Amino acid sequence: MIGDAVERSLRSPQVLISVSELFSNAAGSRMPDVQPDLLTDEVARRVVAACPTSALKVDEAAGRTHLILNYGECIACSRCVAAGNGAFRYAERVARCGVRKKALIRRWDIQRRAEVVQDEPALSQAAEQIRSLVGRALNIRQVDAGSCNGCAGEILALTNPYYDLERFGIHFVASPKHADMLLVTGPVTRNMAAALKLAYDAVPSPKLVVAVGACGCSGGIFAGSHAVVGPVDAVIPVDGYIPGCPPTPSMLLTGIAHVLRPLLLPSRRRTA
Amino acid sequence: MNVTLPNSETGISQALDLLRAPNARLVSIFGSTGDHHERYVHYLIDVNSREYRMFSSVVTGPIPSATPISPAAAWYERELHDQYGIECVGHPDPRPLLFHENWPENVHPMIDDVTHVPWAEGQYQFLKVQGAGVCEVPVGPIHAGIIEPGHFRFSVVGDTVLHLELRHFYTHKGTEKLFEGTPVIDGVMIAESVSGDNCFSHAVAYCQAIESAFGISVPPRAQALRLIGLELERMIAHIADVGAMCGDVGFNVPAAYTARIKETLLRASTRFFGTRFWRGMAVPGGVTRDFSSADTGEFGRMVAAAAGDFAEMARLILHTSSVQNRFESTGILTAEIARQTGVVGPVARASGIRLDVRCDHPSGRYRDINVDVPLYKYGDVLARARIRIDETAISMRLIHETLKQLPAGSVLVSVPLSENAEAWSAVESPRGELLYWVRIRDGKIARCHIKSPSFQNWPALPVAMPGNIIADFPLINKSFNLSYSGSDR
Repeated sequence: MIGDAVERSLRSPQVLISVSELFSNAAGSRMPDVQPDLLTDEVARRVVAACPTSALKVDEAAGRTHLILNYGECIACSRCVAAGNGAFRYAERVARCGVRKKALIRRWDIQRRAEVVQDEPALSQAAEQIRSLVGRALNIRQVDAGSCNGCAGEILALTNPYYDLERFGIHFVASPKHADMLLVTGPVTRNMAAALKLAYDAVPSPKLVVAVGACGCSGGIFAGSHAVVGPVDAVIPVDGYIPGCPPTPSMLLTGIAHVLRPLLLPSRRRTA
Repeated sequence: MNVTLPNSETGISQALDLLRAPNARLVSIFGSTGDHHERYVHYLIDVNSREYRMFSSVVTGPIPSATPISPAAAWYERELHDQYGIECVGHPDPRPLLFHENWPENVHPMIDDVTHVPWAEGQYQFLKVQGAGVCEVPVGPIHAGIIEPGHFRFSVVGDTVLHLELRHFYTHKGTEKLFEGTPVIDGVMIAESVSGDNCFSHAVAYCQAIESAFGISVPPRAQALRLIGLELERMIAHIADVGAMCGDVGFNVPAAYTARIKETLLRASTRFFGTRFWRGMAVPGGVTRDFSSADTGEFGRMVAAAAGDFAEMARLILHTSSVQNRFESTGILTAEIARQTGVVGPVARASGIRLDVRCDHPSGRYRDINVDVPLYKYGDVLARARIRIDETAISMRLIHETLKQLPAGSVLVSVPLSENAEAWSAVESPRGELLYWVRIRDGKIARCHIKSPSFQNWPALPVAMPGNIIADFPLINKSFNLSYSGSDR
């Protein structure tokens, strides 16, 4: 009956998601986005009070009031969406995936009701970057350093027929010795710290490390626990951060592509 | 060894006496501290699969171990010692469980200051199997696939496994301690991060415990929506498990096919509830989102289509001779061992033990409905696959019937925020009986204990292994499909 299963599969509808639809798609992630024109002092005060982590803060330095949203600490609880009076809504796209830690932080001037653009990562090219992956090869070793398995489940979803990671030449490999990149989920627990270091050392250089999820970026809801060492960069060097609790498969793919960006630029390719 | 208990500690002997009875099943053993830092031990026992009974006692010194009476107690008592420093005299294996060599021996996080715990060193002693031709195969904590970390130490002769020792708790995050001092409405966010793939079950069990403590009635419509979420989570878990079991015997077409069906259900959740895994849906007092009557029809059709598609593929899977060859008589967990180790959920039902919280200890909407409980007696991989296939169809029917008679009204009521109370509540998660016990002081969680089905079921896995070949381990492990994080917490 192997043939019957294959035949049924062949007759099933095509579900592959196009690259443009895939890029940074955050639907279902419950990550927040801000409508700056609705931002007021009152809203800022309420959302900061509602936030269970320190992802939302008000910064009053230099005579200005800024609202700060650190995606790396956001556990996507959506309380700011409920408390934000329309100024907060679910993000349709979260492009800050695979970026440096500083780029996870966004800032709005509450008086001017506008985003303060400090260090805009070159995100518009990300869809192009994903396309440029086609035909290349990237071997990824996923390491769960203590996650709740939410992030690991979404990484696994990347291999399903909707996302089909293999079309980009990206494979998950069994050994860190075969890997170009470590995709690390979870707050690093005391009991996993040594194993994570060993896995990192086993990856041949040059190597890339991506911290995944609120826990991987900042410790998330487990920050400060006696059994947790900290975020991934407390234990090994990290090249890019993907926020989310958990990040959607699209956000994961966007993040992977973004971390590769410097390696894929034509001028750098030969020297890299 | 005998321990003479003071009169104030009769709760312990009552619990141990009851555990000797054939109609008693150990649910959990855990500790707590009182208002004057005195330590308590609590035994939760299911009598006749109908009634949870709690025995509590203050602890002043070593207590007699329940493990010689009920092996199901083994890990609970090791955890009790790790967390509270309570010694269980007569325990056959008193090694630390939660903490590895890096943790100092005399630091117990539920009673000691753990702001700066020094790093310790040591060597873990695995059980040595000796004899001609015996080899040890260490596997993990980092595994070959995209799964959670844990260590398996096989002692083999050739391909055949003589002994398997588990060494887990690599993902131990001190979660029960993290609950302490958390406002009751915030605790649900920690509960959702105990085991990501069963996050809605954890959220509902936590919320029900809070509601039970405060005596709150959740609106009927919220109860119905919770049932839909719980059954959807079960469907998604079971469909993915059956697919992964096919993947472990090299039958990749159904593995990819079921992954596609799972994704359609996650996308349906996103479309109607804005969340792939129903995170943030359950809160104390009800649920946070409702859906319109137009949407219920479309959602129901999507769920039914996914279930129908899976049922058809499952039929083809079970009729494939190479699958039968690998699944049948592999990794047998006998009813006797299953009973002794106290396993719950699909693993218990595949070994002929009829346990299901939805029938035995129903809460919410489950009080008003009947749930079919499929039962298989062989306890092999095939039985565990069949249980999941049958239960997927049952869950689909439950969702369908609930959608047809969705009560009107609100989905959320307010919760008092400053009271003292204690309560527990259980749900049947995809992996089995999941129970939250909470103690609330001034609107904050003073103690939260999680009885996780994975914590209960893991010790049974090594018993199903001897005599099987090591190449069948991934398949047997997948057929149990236990959560590492849910167990390690």
